[in-house]
Amino acid sequence: MSRTGRSWRAALTALMVALAIVWLLPAVWVLVTSLKLTENIVRVPPEWIPWPATIEHYGEVLFSSSRTARIGRAFFNSIVVSLGSVALVVLASAMAAYPLARMRFRGRNLVFGLIVGSLMIPNAVILVPQYVLVQRLGWLSTYQGLIVPEAAMTFAFGVFLLRQFFLTIPSELEDAARIDGADPWQIFTRIVLPLSQPVLGALAIFAFRSAWNDFLWPLIAVNKPDMFPLPVALALLRGAYAAESYGPIMAGAVLSALPLLIVFLVANRRIVEGVRVSALKG
Amino acid sequence: MKPRRALRRGAFTPYLFLAPGLVLFALFRVYPLLEGLWLSFTNARLGRAQQTFVGAANYLRLLDDTRFHVSLVNTAYYTIASTVPILAVPLVLAVALNRGVALRTFLRGAFFFPFTLSVVTVGLTWLWLLDPVIGPSTYYLRAAGVPVRSWLADPGTAMWAIIVTTVWWVTGYYLVIYLAGLQDIPRELYEAAAIDGAGGWRSFWSITMPLLRPVFLFVLVTHVIGSFQIFGQVFVLTNGGPGDATRTVVQHLYETAFQNFFHFGSASAMAWVLFVIILVFSLLQFRLLRGHTQY
Repeated sequence: MSRTGRSWRAALTALMVALAIVWLLPAVWVLVTSLKLTENIVRVPPEWIPWPATIEHYGEVLFSSSRTARIGRAFFNSIVVSLGSVALVVLASAMAAYPLARMRFRGRNLVFGLIVGSLMIPNAVILVPQYVLVQRLGWLSTYQGLIVPEAAMTFAFGVFLLRQFFLTIPSELEDAARIDGADPWQIFTRIVLPLSQPVLGALAIFAFRSAWNDFLWPLIAVNKPDMFPLPVALALLRGAYAAESYGPIMAGAVLSALPLLIVFLVANRRIVEGVRVSALKG
Repeated sequence: MKPRRALRRGAFTPYLFLAPGLVLFALFRVYPLLEGLWLSFTNARLGRAQQTFVGAANYLRLLDDTRFHVSLVNTAYYTIASTVPILAVPLVLAVALNRGVALRTFLRGAFFFPFTLSVVTVGLTWLWLLDPVIGPSTYYLRAAGVPVRSWLADPGTAMWAIIVTTVWWVTGYYLVIYLAGLQDIPRELYEAAAIDGAGGWRSFWSITMPLLRPVFLFVLVTHVIGSFQIFGQVFVLTNGGPGDATRTVVQHLYETAFQNFFHFGSASAMAWVLFVIILVFSLLQFRLLRGHTQY
């Protein structure tokens, strides 16, 4: 590579690193604020090093007895709802995608067309009737009232993503198992699913992210403070404190970001791959 | 020939696999869509056991609902105004990252990180950054000589504050998509162009942009579908204010159904108007951008 090429690249790298740091500053500011003593939060000019540091805001939002500010409880609710919805959507869409990819049967194209077509239905459009349905089922302010609709929102995408992958599995593997006497369920659970671990992981992360972060549906489907998931509890936390006590609010924001941050650090590549496949194979 | 029993059992297998997913899909996607259409022609309310057919009354009432008109205009304004930054910012970053920059994985991760946050967390972050009294942006902008106002309380800037917040939130997602699209463009095309004497700028416009057309289409359609449904950012940052300056359709729908009037029929009519608008826009974009993607 020529010398000008190399220095041009170094300059571009430096510029991009600077941009990335600026891009992360809002998040850093949230973290810094959450660790500051209350009296230091409002200081001007802004202080970027939270010293002396404190974790009192975290203790406050996690263990507060206030009815609206129970972030600890909301964190638990979000974990239950997100994991439940991941389990349901991964199972249901893998089971549905398998015959759509690997079996011939009447109505296959119609079923697949309907499922893919439903990706065009905006979630906001079915908000009211979904509320009516969940109310009729007696599921308002319950875990199932959040888990099942969240899973339904991701189901079509899951079928699409998994079918795409199942199509690439060589049929010789299934044939060999069939000759050995395996029935379709055994082929599915012992051959297809183990081979599909990466794409199942990508779908699980995607489903976790959408359930963990969804706001509009839990806002209307839950009216007991004990059952609020994190985004709803956080939005209400803002009203629970005076305008300028950002400490507890920012501690709540950091807590809400933690699980996905950890997933993201561990599985950065897989998430990116999931996004890529979801967008471009469409 | 297979035994009859096995054949019959085999014939049901695909449907048995499909059953759990289809129940979920039919009950929570298809049925609510149709039920919503029905509700939009009734006088349904929260808590009202019986609903009666009222014809197009809900739709006709929307013609007189000035707050609905305001929310439609605001939503359209937001969608159009945010389109350029949301198409351009991730594209510029992706093209830069694709030019052999070091630390690519770290950089991509840094820009992607905000997308892992919930809309509420993102909203609270920017609420604090833009705080007119003690927010850091206020301090630094003032120090830089920019006349500072209360961005979120000023009807002229509130929507732009929401747009900046959204761009920060979703740029990483579109960046990853653009990067994937860029990597699918064969390197030889650039090499051939370079041999023919085309500079970086020229090959960007003659190779990169045309070949990214399907990616643009995806980004544009996804963005427009999402923008028409904007709710969370508005709920956290301005709650539709100041006045009704940032009131959006989904917020108006939410308040009509669940906060002020509990009028499900009227809210369902809004939902279907929104649905039709989104469909028309999506189809228009497919029409405009779909041709000429074969190379």
